[in-house]
Amino acid sequence: MVGEILEIVFSPQFFGPVVFPGLVTVLLVLLTIIWVERKIAARVQMRVGPLYVLKPLGGAIQMLADGLRFFFQEFIIPETVDKLPFVAAPVVAMTFAILPFAFIPVAPDFIPYSVPYSMPVFLGLNTVIPLTIIAMAWGSNNKFSIQGGIREAYMTIAYEAALFTAALAMAITYGTLDFAEMVEAQGVPGILVNPLSAAVFFVAMLMSAGKLPFDIVEGEQEIVAGPFTEYSGIAFGLTMGIGYVQLYGFTLAFTLMYLSGWEPLIPFLHDIYPALGGVMLFAKAYLLMVFIVFLRSVYGRYRLDQALRLGWRRLFPLSLLSVFFAVVLRVIGVV
Amino acid sequence: MSRRKVGLREHVEAVATGLKYLVKPNRITVYYPEETIGLGERYRGMIHYDWDKCISCSLCAMICPADAMKMYKKKGEKKARPGINYQRCIFCGYCVDICPTNALSFTNVHDVAYESLEEMVYPPERFVEEWVSPAEKEGAKRLKVVFDEERGLVHVPE
Repeated sequence: MVGEILEIVFSPQFFGPVVFPGLVTVLLVLLTIIWVERKIAARVQMRVGPLYVLKPLGGAIQMLADGLRFFFQEFIIPETVDKLPFVAAPVVAMTFAILPFAFIPVAPDFIPYSVPYSMPVFLGLNTVIPLTIIAMAWGSNNKFSIQGGIREAYMTIAYEAALFTAALAMAITYGTLDFAEMVEAQGVPGILVNPLSAAVFFVAMLMSAGKLPFDIVEGEQEIVAGPFTEYSGIAFGLTMGIGYVQLYGFTLAFTLMYLSGWEPLIPFLHDIYPALGGVMLFAKAYLLMVFIVFLRSVYGRYRLDQALRLGWRRLFPLSLLSVFFAVVLRVIGVV
Repeated sequence: MSRRKVGLREHVEAVATGLKYLVKPNRITVYYPEETIGLGERYRGMIHYDWDKCISCSLCAMICPADAMKMYKKKGEKKARPGINYQRCIFCGYCVDICPTNALSFTNVHDVAYESLEEMVYPPERFVEEWVSPAEKEGAKRLKVVFDEERGLVHVPE
């Protein structure tokens, strides 16, 4: 009986989405990366940042305290909102932010759901989130929410074409649409093979996750919290988490596509349990996330029209160029 | 308006500047309950009240623009005496200026940090107490502000 349960728990189909790289790891990432973000921003801006929650570690469990507070706060449902979308949308959004982790391989023989199209499935599932955010905005029945929802709609068309085209370039380069096969095909990291595609994917990824300099949708100083204005309590916690969960998923995908994934594999850890072979993948993705949250302290926010101009006039042509480049590489047979 | 061209070089420069401060932070934070900034003798901080000099003219309560000063009168007593509410006080010093007998005076303590709102109200009995900085009472280090060529204002131990 116990053996059977353990077998289920340690099967890739369960362990992948629920423990690593899925739910449990997502929670740990959320708890740490927001603290790291605040600490880094504070260091650059001549401040100290969170300190007094567990002072010896520099306030490391600040997010745990914040999370607990969200959890026990009242979730107020205003009378004027459309109740079903208002309550359901954050939950659906979080579900669709977690779901892509089922298609992320963490080690050569540890693939939760092995499909030959894991990359388009991953990207496709992420494109559902903007719809839920627009549902939140519309359901909230609030002027700031509506503005945020419209910004989200505009942003979606700004980055999606460039993101998918950049990913397509890598698919052509490696000749596959599967993450695991992409990693195996990478002798040289993809970022060196097609740096143009990597750059476009990186910026589009920031736009998609709504991280600075593209947190136009939330726009704290302009429209309160955009689509999330009316939320309180645990639902607010969920809406704040979506961006970070998306960011984590995208950094994992970026690592798999451009930074040669779990290579170099540590055989010793991989032999104990295949998922432990994904340590390198996680480390690279986490470092990338730290760099991305560091950008918060460097950049100011782009205006909506600037972001759209960047998306269509710079990123999209560059991504087409990267596809062309990938085709040329393929034809002359470099990869 | 001429627009500055922002290319790859500008982005790299911005990130490099950020990294510079990340590696070598230039913090100006004073860790308040453990450290305080020493204030000069003539600083316009918390107000001290002299019980014996006061003639109960209530000019201080009248002049106060923020309504922080209020006269308290106990039953059976003829004299009303001023009390202060630091929730409201804006440290303008009108009460100190107008006091005809110099019963009110400034101190160089300025720790307007309280645990509850009730503590910020000082009736005459508490108003008369000598001011001691609560942080310094608990052994906070006193810092002073000096100018530094590279970093601007810095705090060094006194």
